[in-house]
Amino acid sequence: MAGKAAAAEDGTSDPGRFVTGLGRGIAGALFLGLPMLMTMEMWYLGFYMARERLFLLLMLNIPLLILLAHRIGFEKTHGWREAVRDATIAYGIGIITSLVVLAALGLLRGDMPAGELVGKVALQSVPASIGAMLGRSQLGQDEDTTEGRETTYAGELLLMGAGALFLSLNIAPTDETMVLAYKMTNWHAFVVAIISIALMHGFVYAVSFVGGHELSPQTPWWHAFVRFTLPGYIVALVISAFALWVFERLDDSSLSQSLLSVIVLGFPASLGAAAARLIL
Amino acid sequence: MTRSDKGRHRERHDPHWIEWLTGLLSALLVAGMLGWVGWEAFMKDATPPDLSIAVVATEPIASGHRVTFDIHNAGATTAASVTVVGRVLDGDRVIEENQVIFDYVAAESKSTGAFLFTSDLTGRQVDIHPAGYTDP
Repeated sequence: MAGKAAAAEDGTSDPGRFVTGLGRGIAGALFLGLPMLMTMEMWYLGFYMARERLFLLLMLNIPLLILLAHRIGFEKTHGWREAVRDATIAYGIGIITSLVVLAALGLLRGDMPAGELVGKVALQSVPASIGAMLGRSQLGQDEDTTEGRETTYAGELLLMGAGALFLSLNIAPTDETMVLAYKMTNWHAFVVAIISIALMHGFVYAVSFVGGHELSPQTPWWHAFVRFTLPGYIVALVISAFALWVFERLDDSSLSQSLLSVIVLGFPASLGAAAARLIL
Repeated sequence: MTRSDKGRHRERHDPHWIEWLTGLLSALLVAGMLGWVGWEAFMKDATPPDLSIAVVATEPIASGHRVTFDIHNAGATTAASVTVVGRVLDGDRVIEENQVIFDYVAAESKSTGAFLFTSDLTGRQVDIHPAGYTDP
């Protein structure tokens, strides 16, 4: 296999590289999952959130991980089978690290009902698994896997969705999202929406970060705005609405009120989407 | 389509029509959303919370009765720490009085709660009314 030949040339063994990749995955799961592992609302949601919604979140995590693995993967993935394998490993790492940390923090006790134990671990495993997948790409990109690569349009939108989902999962469970929506007036929401869009476009196109995007000289600036930034913002808003719905923050709210909460959460989600385009 | 090279990514100049279609739809959605939010900012008065109760069900439970109710806030402002008082009345006499506190009842939305009464409710009236709130 091409992968094995490349590894043999490196002088490192395949199992050695795999274990290192696992280590990076664990590090990523911990680093990116710890804020949520220590968020009180996530523990409570683990046992009170509607099981159908939790199930939906767990199910949707699977294609997300597979698509992310296809793009960034633990090792150089050459096809969907390796992507499925990497996604499964990432999910497993997410579950194990959540279980260990929650148990170590005393949040999983013997006298708790099984539903509560499983719910807490399952909910935390989603961001931890995304962290495990990202950990491999961010904490150890020693191969030039980004050189000469083409990303499809759908792939770009998916990356934005993944970034938005990650930050949404961080922030949506907390009470502060709803308190902000309750305290804001419509004018504040309007300004926040404009700022989100402007920051999204600026971070990716105008501020020349490494990983930033450019347009060929003959392309006017509004090409990227209409083709990427606006759809990216809609993706961020849809992801925010989904996260709020999963965590039962939108039930019984009127449309205007829900829209305010979605715009509030859309602010970090859109920055997450922009960051994903820069980093991934 | 985006091509990545040396840490920079370059968008194609000649994109597929679906990129334009997505961009156009997104532009319409964003414009619509901003238009709605802006229009409501102009047109809606910030009326204070207007709370009303609707009893949904009364069921017997092990320790007495559970009276489930919805609290509606018809105003344009959210009410926080909403105290709802529920009393079992026999004519003018108060047999039992309980309180339920809602963290928030959002503007133009509703929340659901329940009272657990230990007294017998036959032939008696149950009065549930909101008693106070704070600004969020």
